[in-house]
Amino acid sequence: MSARALRTTLIVLAALGVALAGYLTYLHYSGTTPPCSIKGNPCSQVQKSRYSELAGVPVALIGLLGYIVILGSLLAPEDERARFATMALTLGGLGFSAYLTYREVFTLHKICEWCVGSAVLMTIMMCLSVWRFLRGDLDARARALAQADGGPEPTAPPLGAAPS
Amino acid sequence: MSHPGVEDDEADLTRKQRREQAREQRKALEEEATASAKRKARLTQLGIVVAVVVAAVVVILIATGGGGTKKVAPHSAEANQTTAAVNTLIGGIPQSGNTLGNPNAPITLQYFGDLECPICKEFTLGALPPIIQKWVKTGKVKIEYRSMETATHEPEVFNSQQVAALAAGTQGKMWNFLETFYHEQGEEGSGYVTESYLQGLAQQVPGLNLTQWTNDRNNPVLTSQIATDKQAANNAGFTGTPSFLIGKTGGTPSKLEYSSLTDPASFNEAIEKLLKG
Repeated sequence: MSARALRTTLIVLAALGVALAGYLTYLHYSGTTPPCSIKGNPCSQVQKSRYSELAGVPVALIGLLGYIVILGSLLAPEDERARFATMALTLGGLGFSAYLTYREVFTLHKICEWCVGSAVLMTIMMCLSVWRFLRGDLDARARALAQADGGPEPTAPPLGAAPS
Repeated sequence: MSHPGVEDDEADLTRKQRREQAREQRKALEEEATASAKRKARLTQLGIVVAVVVAAVVVILIATGGGGTKKVAPHSAEANQTTAAVNTLIGGIPQSGNTLGNPNAPITLQYFGDLECPICKEFTLGALPPIIQKWVKTGKVKIEYRSMETATHEPEVFNSQQVAALAAGTQGKMWNFLETFYHEQGEEGSGYVTESYLQGLAQQVPGLNLTQWTNDRNNPVLTSQIATDKQAANNAGFTGTPSFLIGKTGGTPSKLEYSSLTDPASFNEAIEKLLKG
């Protein structure tokens, strides 16, 4: 997968996260019962429990801010520092999702599909951003090698191109 | 016959090529060393971030707690504090079996709960006190506590703790018992509800005759009450606790959808509507 395709994938996932967490934040403040396909609406019970807030701040809002900052790190010009920021932020996000999932499964004994959705999203983003950080700027290396061989400089695929 | 000048040129070229090759090899080795150092640095950074995240999650878990597997000793400062809080809330309110409040109250609220359910605890310590204060103490509403197994994973433990509460009810003290239970509730799934735990709770209920309470726990009528409650919860289509039915006393109750476990607004609204209707 090219660096550009990887970054685009992460941007799309982060945008989905912003939408999901934004909706849950809206539900929290409006006091609306979240729609839930699971019988008995455990999402409602999870979101009304005391674990729906951390130090008085709704966890949905913390999630929303987290996804926005991750999106910001992806939209910043790509360099080593930006890749590190995305990796660190998604790892932090995964840790927070793990805490919330622990509370759902072992303390409340309820599973909320919205929370599971966010946790899955964050897990995929974490895996991709760790991979992206560890491999560094592969495209730049490929360009340098091509130049050393005297061949044409490889061009980046168009945005949204199929992953290689 | 070859010319010596040409041999020298060929030898020079070979030397030049060798030097070039050696330089390229050196360069490749340097690049490899740089890339390897970068990889190591990145792995170290990753390790540091993982360690920081794990430490932060542990801190949050400890800070947000979970109730613990505590057992409050009867007559301890904490037990006395709980007893005082329960007395302040329900002292002086008539009790009969599983019912708290004026037997002739026009409205009946049925509270389906599991004593080990942390969300029920949140309701019992959150929205319930203002409801008792505003509606039960004034004789307009009576509350029936009905059991529904959700958080308690072992049916025998569920039956045992529920029968223990109902046995206190035969002496008009079920609400003291269950309020104390919820106040001192332990961490779900930790197996804290043992015989000695239930005995300790009973000792915290002021005026409870422990000999009679122990005998009543063998009363099969109390066990059948649990089965009746289960049937009622099934009929209402409840799948979680706490769940509520509300209606005029003697009439057909309907489900009460609540918007908060700590704010009694949904309950107040439903009660006011029934009182007007």
